[in-house]
Amino acid sequence: MKHVSFEVKQGEVLGLLGENGAGKTTLLRTIATLLEPTAGQVQVGGFNTVKESAEIQKKIGVLFGSETGLYDRFTARENLEYFAMLYGLGKHETKVRIDELSKMFGMRDYLSRKVGDFSKGMRQKVAIARTVIHNPQIIIFDEPTTGLDITSSNVFRQLIHQLKREGKTIIFSSHIVEEVSMLCDAVAMIHQGELVYHGTLEQLYEQEGSRDLNYIFMSKLVRGGDDYAV
Amino acid sequence: MLFNIYVKELKDCFRDRRTLLLSVVLPIVLMTGFVFLFEQLGSHGKDEVYTVAVTQSFDEADRAIFANYKNLEFIEVNDPKSAVLDGLAIIGLEFSRSFKDVEKSNDAIKITIIGDALSQNSAIVMSNIENALSDYERTIISERLQQHKVDISTIEPFSIVYEETIDGDFSLAMLAYLIPLILAVSVGIGAGPAAADLFAGEKERKTMEALLMTPIKRSTLLLAKWLAVATIATLTGLVTLIVIVMEIFLFTTDLKAAISLGKEPYIVVVIAILVVIVYALVCASILMLTSILAKTIKEAQTYSAPILMLILVPAFYVMGLGVNELTFFDFVIPIVNLFAIFKELLLGITQYNHIAMTLISNLALTLIIFIICRILFMKDRWVMNS
Repeated sequence: MKHVSFEVKQGEVLGLLGENGAGKTTLLRTIATLLEPTAGQVQVGGFNTVKESAEIQKKIGVLFGSETGLYDRFTARENLEYFAMLYGLGKHETKVRIDELSKMFGMRDYLSRKVGDFSKGMRQKVAIARTVIHNPQIIIFDEPTTGLDITSSNVFRQLIHQLKREGKTIIFSSHIVEEVSMLCDAVAMIHQGELVYHGTLEQLYEQEGSRDLNYIFMSKLVRGGDDYAV
Repeated sequence: MLFNIYVKELKDCFRDRRTLLLSVVLPIVLMTGFVFLFEQLGSHGKDEVYTVAVTQSFDEADRAIFANYKNLEFIEVNDPKSAVLDGLAIIGLEFSRSFKDVEKSNDAIKITIIGDALSQNSAIVMSNIENALSDYERTIISERLQQHKVDISTIEPFSIVYEETIDGDFSLAMLAYLIPLILAVSVGIGAGPAAADLFAGEKERKTMEALLMTPIKRSTLLLAKWLAVATIATLTGLVTLIVIVMEIFLFTTDLKAAISLGKEPYIVVVIAILVVIVYALVCASILMLTSILAKTIKEAQTYSAPILMLILVPAFYVMGLGVNELTFFDFVIPIVNLFAIFKELLLGITQYNHIAMTLISNLALTLIIFIICRILFMKDRWVMNS
């Protein structure tokens, strides 16, 4: 990645758009403290991702695509309890939070079942719950609805709306342009490791003279600005 | 926090049926099998009756030579070799003529023993027959010399007395030396799946990334995981040791007699437990290192299998040495000294300086491997697959 510089405001939902291999996941991993930038720096909540990663890790929740990060031999509840413990939540707080999330995602029926027996949609719901178990201020989702059915995708979208209402800062990448236009306040477009656009959706629509994000995406990224007939 | 992660890791491991099977069930089955096999090998031939095929000219005088060997049963056949080949007898025996008139003739009787030297039964019977014939030969020579008024001591200027430096049955003691070897292999097999799963497995399933994004220190995570692997390795070692000790002392006679635990058997058992724990720690560290270096469980197992096989080298080296041949270096070199100390313990020898050297050198090796693991675990390259 090179020449990538942007800021996400508190409480903003930023959509990260780009083709496969554009560098979206690398960028998100760098923000999530999993990768160190070879040049420049990334600050999350005022903390440097390299020098103060521990501080950032307390404040963020991260979910990378279909990599649910769940233990198959544990029940959904045990998985959530384990990650709550790692984030330093107390027993009572954990119980309350699991109740809230299981209600929100409709997971009560299978909370006591082992994750290894779950469908992809069920796993993804538990993984999202795991990501937000510690009520983080900043949440990163990398293509979270990939492979999900319509119901599960809708549940995820409802979650984003709710988190947005709660004032959380959210960055998520998606290849579903409609999803980004529906949920995001701002958008960042990555093409071959470079940031080609960052700004609000309204600014983008105004700049491009169209409210069709799909058209803008194709003209800006896929065809490098060539004519594109909708 | 460390304890909670450790408990979670243990719970995760024991929910894996492979871990339960290899760390608890396998040592019990394996050691039970070996204990009873050793016992059977040790008592081999004691109550067994062996059939010896002889020609029809085999008479009472010939039979009298073997009167003291009650385990030999003679059958008369036309061709002893065919009888052996057909499985009718263990050994075939042919005399060129009867011993009935041996005193009257100075012509040597030609004796042919037909058998299979690779067969343990055949070797036992051959040995019995040779011993019986040697004794009888000595009797004949003595009688003939007496006829010439010559004392037997004239042709026997010296006699040989063999004195063993170890107590008990030597062949059984050799078998007993296989116990630490099996114990070492059991610990490796028992802890292998857990070690592969907790590092390479977590990388493969991407749960490691989820852990690394939490505020937990990597060193805490590493220590908790190592403790879990070490616990399983120790458990496997102790289960194996307990099974060996209980089965030998409750269900065997010959093997129990072969293993001398000296005057302080309880101290020997306590030291054996300590040695097993230390070996488990070394093993856990080695397995952890191979798992950190691997990206998948399969890769981790590919690395760990030959390393665990290498343990056989010091085991066989020590097995070939007498306890008096063990040097200072045998007790300083880690892993080699574990087998050396077990050799002493099985003979009831408790040399505290040897024990201290063994424990310290293996703990030092564990620490060195742990430090290497920590260095690797702090680097993203080794802790994440992507």
